[in-house]
Amino acid sequence: MPELSTPLRIRPLDELDIGSIVRIDERVGGTYRPDYWEGRVMFYLRRDPQASQVAVSDGKVVGFMLADVRAGEFGLEEPSGWIERFGIDPDYRGRDIGRALFQAIAAHFRAMGVAKIRTLAIQSDAVSGFLTKLGFAPAPLVALEMMVPADREQR
Amino acid sequence: MKFEKITLEKKYHDAVEHWRRHYLKDYDSLIENWDRYFPQDEAFCLCAKLELGTPGTVSVGEHAGEKKRVKPDELTEEEAKHLLAIIRAQASTEFGSIQQHAGTLERAQDDEDRFWVLRVMAEELRHGYQMFHLLLSQDWSRASGGVKGETMVEEILSMQTGSHVLDAFNLEYDSFVDNIVFAALIDRVGKYQLTMQKVCAYKPMADSMPPMLREEAFHLAAGVIPMRRWARRAAEGDPLITMSMIQKSVNKWFPRGLEMFGDERGGDSNLRMGFKDLKNREAQDQYIEEVRRMVRDINSRFVRARFPEYLPEKAEQVLVELERSRGSHRGVAFDELLRLPDRRFFRRKGEPAFAMVGVDGETFSDAREYLRHLAKHLPESYMASRDLRNYGDVLKRIVSGELSVAEGVMKMPKLKRVGGTCPCSRSVRWVMEEPSSGNSDAAAPR
Ligand SMILES: [Fe+2]
Ligand SMILES: [Fe+2]
Repeated sequence: MPELSTPLRIRPLDELDIGSIVRIDERVGGTYRPDYWEGRVMFYLRRDPQASQVAVSDGKVVGFMLADVRAGEFGLEEPSGWIERFGIDPDYRGRDIGRALFQAIAAHFRAMGVAKIRTLAIQSDAVSGFLTKLGFAPAPLVALEMMVPADREQR
Repeated sequence: MKFEKITLEKKYHDAVEHWRRHYLKDYDSLIENWDRYFPQDEAFCLCAKLELGTPGTVSVGEHAGEKKRVKPDELTEEEAKHLLAIIRAQASTEFGSIQQHAGTLERAQDDEDRFWVLRVMAEELRHGYQMFHLLLSQDWSRASGGVKGETMVEEILSMQTGSHVLDAFNLEYDSFVDNIVFAALIDRVGKYQLTMQKVCAYKPMADSMPPMLREEAFHLAAGVIPMRRWARRAAEGDPLITMSMIQKSVNKWFPRGLEMFGDERGGDSNLRMGFKDLKNREAQDQYIEEVRRMVRDINSRFVRARFPEYLPEKAEQVLVELERSRGSHRGVAFDELLRLPDRRFFRRKGEPAFAMVGVDGETFSDAREYLRHLAKHLPESYMASRDLRNYGDVLKRIVSGELSVAEGVMKMPKLKRVGGTCPCSRSVRWVMEEPSSGNSDAAAPR
């Protein structure tokens, strides 16, 4: 595990971070997905380029968190801050980089006048442990899903 | 981030709409397809946006610590003149880029790319509108020598490719590659100018910057992401796009982008007056580093696409090795990768104006030989343009000693408005300015 030789810097995401995000995602999940990330980064940059953040250490991006403010979804009329995706370079884990990214995003949400931050995670996942430590708690909303019914079941 | 939306007085709003119908013909199609290409995004608004809650105190220059100015009359005459020139130049670039984009927009191979550029154009229109708000909401007559806001607006709306204040906005696009490379390189200069102006001692200007910058982030992505995708297609052998096509367009725009920062030796007055927080060379240095990062990013996309079986570390190693050896790796030559031209390459303004430096920093002493070098590194159709022909003529006269470099800089022809305000009246003509008639560069953001 390399030591953090330069202090961690948190800054807003930009269009030149795509390569780094692809690299972190590949290291974590084992799949190279440049097209997917080009689409996601474009989505966040065109909506609110100040919301999503990256963490820079030793001159390279070692973590990212993508976020934006949305209103009117799922009947939630008040604007909520949404955190969709984040990733930390495995070599840089255990250094509170996720928390630092989260704090920068929370500060942005505050400036936007947003009261609530929302996200979705798999319950037993390590991610949900991290989210709980940040202060997230189960919401009264329940995520529901089902398979699209076959044609004949509908009739 | 809260901002106030402002609509111009009806006659000015209508004038911008009229202009839009001439140069942004696909505007209605953009609005109709907005939800398809930009789902969940706020609808487009032709209005000025002023950020609320920004600092009220000047942070740089000789007025640091004082209250920011909110009226031109609170600036000294020198400051007001200087700032007015910046606002007019900014307005001119916003409208100018729409005219340039319009020329080749239809040649986009991909609908998504085309709609991204269309949105960029609409947002540039809003930026021009924003600058009009600054010109029209206050009385600038002391700084403008009595010229009314109305006349300044008319003048800007009558400009055509060729008559804009900054050279980058006077070049026509040769293909849709230029639309994309322009967004990645020239809008990036815009990002720097807007970022520097966030500190502006004139508060309405400072408050205009954050909303414009948020839109600029999209413009840069609308340049870089298609370039990344083209790099992948080029690596896969798609004959319709090659790295060399992209490289030639980079060579065309990068020198003009560098010149938009103003002369490398200047920028002190902006700092002193509290209008920007970096000198020209400092800002230019940062820009060059950022473009270098962009080129690297696109090259890695190319290498990964060419060798999909390589792990990221291996691909990175190959790239580093190609950059070091300038050789080749399993059929990929260094020449196939993008590279940043030398900062003195093909310059016609600033410290290295007409210096005859090649893409890799090699120097030339013969004008013809240098033009042949340019022909190898610039888009073919651009070589056949009026702009290049004039550049070549002036270069030869400088090399022969007939003109000084300073005179050469002035000799580049410009289109000038000679009457009429509607773009359909064909109201501009080619004219050659004499050095004594004033340098359009004086209005460039320095
Ligand atoms: Fe703009
Ligand atoms: Fe732009």
